[in-house]
Amino acid sequence: MPQNVAVELPANTPLTDLEFELHGQTSIPFGCRLGVCGACVIEVVEGVGAFDSKGAGEADFLATLGYPGDAFRLACQCRLQAPATIRSVF
Amino acid sequence: MSNRVKNVGYENRQPFLNAAASVELRSQIDAIIDRQIAQWYETVPYAAHLEGKNVNSEYYRRHLVETAWRIRLLRVAESKTLAEIAKRSPEAAQIWANYECEEMLHDELFIQDLARAGVSREQFLATEPYLSTKLLAGFFSYLLDHEGPLGVVAYSYLVEYVNVKLEPSKIQALKESVGESNISGQISHSHTDINDDHPGEVWQAIRFLLRSDEDIASLKRYLAEHQSILALYFKELYEDKIAHVEQKAA
Repeated sequence: MPQNVAVELPANTPLTDLEFELHGQTSIPFGCRLGVCGACVIEVVEGVGAFDSKGAGEADFLATLGYPGDAFRLACQCRLQAPATIRSVF
Repeated sequence: MSNRVKNVGYENRQPFLNAAASVELRSQIDAIIDRQIAQWYETVPYAAHLEGKNVNSEYYRRHLVETAWRIRLLRVAESKTLAEIAKRSPEAAQIWANYECEEMLHDELFIQDLARAGVSREQFLATEPYLSTKLLAGFFSYLLDHEGPLGVVAYSYLVEYVNVKLEPSKIQALKESVGESNISGQISHSHTDINDDHPGEVWQAIRFLLRSDEDIASLKRYLAEHQSILALYFKELYEDKIAHVEQKAA
């Protein structure tokens, strides 16, 4: 993923839109976009509360993948609500 | 006056297979596929190559290219299959739609691993798929036009069953030969198949499409036919990337 790139998105935009915002640059590696493949795991470095809340299914799957805790999300399940800093784990 | 409406999938409400019969048949089918897997390893050149310690990089890259193209081509036919299934069984259509939804964009996972292997998206797009890959897509079209959707769904059951059975050991081998960070896409693809029980999902669709003993016989034949076409692909891949190179070197 590009380093130190700031992207402005309207509130409630799904993070899958980053693919279009960062067109031509390597973005988060999205896969199924349904929260079942685990390709898009991100670490929320700043602004853990900036996304809509994590569901039990997402939390369980992330724990299975070895990413428990509030800081890790599946990017395809996130809608942006406030400023945040993220990094792709892959 | 009679109602002329047809093909809405409500002609037969009673499934041909009850729950117990479905479980019994599934175990028979799984045993058939297990025998096909054994035959595969005995007859297909380089069948176990990607499970080995040393992976030929050209073979590996081209396999990823063909896998991504196979997904891209087949999802078109599988989307058309949804309409044919909906004409026969709305329950099977709902299951198939969900399955296709989950698999639809998985070509991206292989394209991401291609990039990690040094093949750009542009290079992937510029590579025309093998004839055997095109033939598989063509077989799907034939099936939809002339035999019905069961054959297409049978392919997915074969692939999902084999993937869940064999992918973990293949992934483990690739972690060592290619590097774990270079196969994230393939690992993610495997997550979906295993954690989301894709074989079980596809079987539920098959269960609703089987309406007779003839359908069951057809299902078994489809599994063998798809295996034959997939064997053509692996033979083409071997001849292009291994045999051809060895001949030139000799």
